[in-house]
Amino acid sequence: MNDLIRSAIAAEAEEAVDSRTVLAELHKRKRKPLALIIGVATLTVAAAATSVIVQTAVHKTDATPATAPSAASAVNVLLIGTDDANRTDALVFARFNADGSASVISLPRDIYVGAAQDRINSLYQSGPRALTDEVQRLTGVPVDHYAAIKMSEFGRISTAVGGVEICLTAPAKDPRSGVDLPAGRQSVSGDQALAFLRQRFGLAHGDLDRIHRHQAFLTGLASKITKDNAAALARAVNGVVETDQGWDLLDFATRFQGPVKIRTTTLPVGEQVNRGGMVGYAPDPDQTKKFVEGYFGGDQSPAQDGCVN
Amino acid sequence: MGFDQFVAERLDRLLRYATAITCDKHVAQDIVQNVLIRVQKKWDRIGAMDAPYLYVKRMVTNDYLSWRHRRSAREVAVERSELAKHVPSTADPADAYAEREAMRARIAVLPRKQRAALVMRFYEDCSDAEIAQVLGCTESTVRSQLSRALQTLRAHEVARSTTLGVHS
Repeated sequence: MNDLIRSAIAAEAEEAVDSRTVLAELHKRKRKPLALIIGVATLTVAAAATSVIVQTAVHKTDATPATAPSAASAVNVLLIGTDDANRTDALVFARFNADGSASVISLPRDIYVGAAQDRINSLYQSGPRALTDEVQRLTGVPVDHYAAIKMSEFGRISTAVGGVEICLTAPAKDPRSGVDLPAGRQSVSGDQALAFLRQRFGLAHGDLDRIHRHQAFLTGLASKITKDNAAALARAVNGVVETDQGWDLLDFATRFQGPVKIRTTTLPVGEQVNRGGMVGYAPDPDQTKKFVEGYFGGDQSPAQDGCVN
Repeated sequence: MGFDQFVAERLDRLLRYATAITCDKHVAQDIVQNVLIRVQKKWDRIGAMDAPYLYVKRMVTNDYLSWRHRRSAREVAVERSELAKHVPSTADPADAYAEREAMRARIAVLPRKQRAALVMRFYEDCSDAEIAQVLGCTESTVRSQLSRALQTLRAHEVARSTTLGVHS
């Protein structure tokens, strides 16, 4: 009887569907919108001032970046967080590596452009191209693509993920931004998350402290993104992200299969300088290029995790 | 070993195993697909195990034994038990094909855990210990599951043979 059982089970097993069908299905699932959303969400959010880029949510503009996308597998993306008047509040230059990791450099917004009194945060108003050109000139690294989002969206984004954990070294209270948070580790969402990101006045190092807040917030946010809330997150930012026309986001997103490993740092800009009554930074061109090249190439920088001012 | 290589080497066998325990190729496909998607996410951990295939097989088996597929399994079982009633009386008993199909039908109506044990023993040539590991039970439970399954199949066989007057 055992042989009969054997042949009966073998016959049953023979009915199995062709494994190629399953392979095709597995392959398809890899590229399902949800995975796509998670990938793109994590990468962009984590990368800094911007947030989830969803193909359908993207409003394309006519401007294209100065260079064609590089054929190399690494992609350099400029992420722009703007205020409601389209001024740049946060500027982040990110290299997305072929292995799905990202190296992220925050660029202080008060960097002087050339020898004039213009600062980098005013360039986006005259068009993305002006900004991407300047970042290329400053860093010596081509900007393949850019993505812009209004910072005000981060209130909704933080709410969509059920709050983002941050840690303050001291209580934060400032009537201009509306921030009112105690010291210590806490979860922020909605208006308070936004105020936390926006506060610049009353901080010892002004915009540099704010950059650290952005980085801490994004690290916290990245850790909150799961496949379960990615869809809600995508809805929260639907239609609010703007990218260059030449960017095939679907193709870009396929490289992200899971959470993005992110390293963050801030471009060293030296001491503030005063030009005609305006304070800003005039980083050394050669050192800047060297720093960006090194960091994108894998150099380590001191960890910035933990509590922020 | 990478996940892709694991899939390339084991997918065929996994699908056959799943089909044999579920008796439904579509349910089997669903289970294997869903399990592999989960495996892919945890490949760092699973790939580093001594026997990744055994672990994945355990996932597949548990998935089938869990409530999710209970309904479809019962539907198949009913269909097969109908078949079981008809095959012996209508087919030529000397026909090996009919014999085999009758046995298939009887295996299909076994309790699911018994069938899983049976498939591992007779199709995958697993030891009691391996079956116990996959089913998450003791080896003595495996032996009793197998002996009950064989008893049921033998009872049928005897009954059928007697009816048809094939064996004494």
